[in-house]
Amino acid sequence: MADDDAPSDSSLLVIVVDTNPNQRYITEDPKLLTGCLDAMIAFANSHLMQKSSNLLAVIGCHFHKSEFLYPSPGKPLDVRQIDGQYELFTLVEKTIKMRLVNLIKSQPQDDKPGESLLAGALAMGLCFISRMRREAAPGIRMSSRILIVTGSSDTAAQYINYMNVFFTAQKQQVLIDVCSLDKHLSLLQQGCDITGGLYLKVPSLEGLLQYLLWVFLPDASERGQLVLPGRGRVDYRAACFCHRELLTIGYVCSVCLSVFCKFSPICTTCHTVFKTGGPLPIKPKKKKMKV
Amino acid sequence: MVNVMKGVLVECDPAMKQFLLHLDETLALGRKFILQDLDETHLFISADIVETLQARVDDLMDQLSIPVHDKGL
Amino acid sequence: MSESSKSKSSLNLNPSPTLQCKDLHEYLKSRSPQFLETLYNYPTICLAVYRELPELARHFVIRLLFVEQPVPQAVVTSWVSQTYAKEQSKACEALSELSVWQEAPIPGGMPGWMLAQSFKKNLKVALLGGGRPWSMSSSLEPDGKARDIAFLDAYALERWECVLHYMVGSAQTEGISADAVRILLHAGLMTRDADDGSAVITRAGFQFLLLSTAKQVWLFLQHYLHTAEKRSLSAAECLAFLYQLSFSTLGKDYSTEGMSNNMLVFLQHLREFGLVYQRKRKAGRFYPTRLALNIARVRGSAPCAGLVPQPPQQQQGYIVVETNYRVYAYTQTNLQVALLGLFTELIYRFPNLVVGVLTRESVRAALRGGITAQQILHYLNQHSHPQMLNSETGGIRATSVLPPTVVDQIRLWETERNRFTYTEGVVYNHFLSQADFAVLRDYAKSQGVLTWHSERGRTMVVTRAGHDDVKRYWKKHSKS
Repeated sequence: MADDDAPSDSSLLVIVVDTNPNQRYITEDPKLLTGCLDAMIAFANSHLMQKSSNLLAVIGCHFHKSEFLYPSPGKPLDVRQIDGQYELFTLVEKTIKMRLVNLIKSQPQDDKPGESLLAGALAMGLCFISRMRREAAPGIRMSSRILIVTGSSDTAAQYINYMNVFFTAQKQQVLIDVCSLDKHLSLLQQGCDITGGLYLKVPSLEGLLQYLLWVFLPDASERGQLVLPGRGRVDYRAACFCHRELLTIGYVCSVCLSVFCKFSPICTTCHTVFKTGGPLPIKPKKKKMKV
Repeated sequence: MVNVMKGVLVECDPAMKQFLLHLDETLALGRKFILQDLDETHLFISADIVETLQARVDDLMDQLSIPVHDKGL
Repeated sequence: MSESSKSKSSLNLNPSPTLQCKDLHEYLKSRSPQFLETLYNYPTICLAVYRELPELARHFVIRLLFVEQPVPQAVVTSWVSQTYAKEQSKACEALSELSVWQEAPIPGGMPGWMLAQSFKKNLKVALLGGGRPWSMSSSLEPDGKARDIAFLDAYALERWECVLHYMVGSAQTEGISADAVRILLHAGLMTRDADDGSAVITRAGFQFLLLSTAKQVWLFLQHYLHTAEKRSLSAAECLAFLYQLSFSTLGKDYSTEGMSNNMLVFLQHLREFGLVYQRKRKAGRFYPTRLALNIARVRGSAPCAGLVPQPPQQQQGYIVVETNYRVYAYTQTNLQVALLGLFTELIYRFPNLVVGVLTRESVRAALRGGITAQQILHYLNQHSHPQMLNSETGGIRATSVLPPTVVDQIRLWETERNRFTYTEGVVYNHFLSQADFAVLRDYAKSQGVLTWHSERGRTMVVTRAGHDDVKRYWKKHSKS
């Protein structure tokens, strides 16, 4: 008898999918997006297939806003089976596709596409996770993780937002996994390293579903048992606060630890005045309180 | 010549074995029932005594136990 | 459940074997490969079987799902890190047992694994689409009198409690059909009274009552499937339909159109036990209830979190156990009070609260009745009051929400009854030579009937079953 069954853990997966039209693989061949999306949906459904108690959320991340693609706010769609697919999976697929169309349609036409708001989408994911944890019935253990699927290139413009999200996730014990479709992303890789997630740059887009299933499907507790790609070397360069550029050597404010690429006499973050060449301030600790 | 006996093999801790030997010697169950003393933790006894024996052991356990809680009536 | 298998070989010491409740895996394992082959033609079954697999096995399947040729066994082994070799072999065993994969040679002579064709095809259908829709999903006009989830929960609970109440013999026979009674009798949960032929509950029946509702339903349905063939229902078809129900959405209506006559009969039975709700027999539509949905969750006792609405108050826990062995149960139903009374001594009864205490006598009385300590603890755990779940200290989570002293004590009360193990057997002694002894001992050992032996005393004990064989061998040996 399976009487000694420990309470079955449910696992919550939040997928952040970058839908920004200026990702290189989309600008080169717009049809690839559908393929990647199908792979992503199949992966999402495989996650739901693992256990009946598993949960899923998908966030679409565009350049003007991020939005939940699944579950849809309000009443779920009324779907009936059209083929042999499990009803819930059909619902997931339909909902994501419908809401994604709405998201893309809502983009401002005259603006030039900017950078994807990944940090914001991550924050939304963290909020969703914490709400699910709060609402879970007492005594249920829930492991949560966030998977970012993106083809955007590395930028440091959202450096501080990223770091805030990463350390929040670490504190909440949420894993952040990153699947990069195009370029190496050193900033997001730092996030994986901080939270204990996995980072993978997909060598080719054809086998995307297989990469997703092999590397990102196992739950945090199962990852120890399987042989998965290692961490590798993580580039821990910080971005400077003045020009958002990655630095190896820079200037650091002795009070608030802000990083700058060029020397400036006043810290832009905490407004400390640096006395160059003069004696050190007698009580630097007092100033720290002001921060 | 080889000797063959039917019965029941009992496995227990040494303390309980001593108790069984005691029961056997004092004829507490009305007769002798141990067919063969095998080793520290094994005995061979006659099959028909098992139920009486089990009841007797339960009695012993009842005597040994101390109520662990009050009912607080 | 090792006790029950042990008690079979031992004497009439434990006259009531502990109740067996197989999960889907064990149930399917006991079926023939042909039966499994038929089952794997249903995407629903493939999905259910997939979810029942061990964690690692699930990943093996998903990795092999899109591979058309056999994969070397060595490659599969290399997927798992060395330290988890045990889990890995367990996963492989499970997959072989259920014929989810088969051995297939690879050009070059290496042994390989390949997923069973029908399983692979239908799992893909369930996951990605394609194939024919499941039988009950024809489109429907919106129901004018749609039923909400609260109504369905209340209905399911009422129907199922009807069966349970009948079992404890509350003399109310209305609302339960002859079919249901037949299944209870068949399952050995009830038995015909020798005097007046009325059905009375057995010891196994009491153990049945201590299970969680999901397990009760599953066990009951297992016995239903056993008897299904006699009613010219195909067990495979019924099982597929059941799992189809378990993968449906609560609070949604489904159509009966296109269902075979057999399945319509089956549906009526399910309706009787509260697994589905139908307004009228010929309504053409039905609503699955939580009972049906829970079939797939026999393994995990935890209710589903998040988006699925929580079960109503009645199904939530109501028992508080304190370290001083006191049990407080916030309940009004006689059934729950009676169940608690099986292993506690009840002291007070209030309109909405029963207070009892776990004593040695009360627990031993239950143990004597064939209920195991594990079952008692499981029942208390299962029905723990939410307050007990919340009162845990942050971060540290014990395996049980019950006070450890109580858990240990109940286990100790059980083990003190098992200080002896009895094995029926035959003793051989007074061997004339060491060689004779060694020959017979080795023979008995090779036959697997040797239970005890001593070199020094030239004494050995073989099981009763093995006695004739060993005797024959000895006669042959001593003659030659």
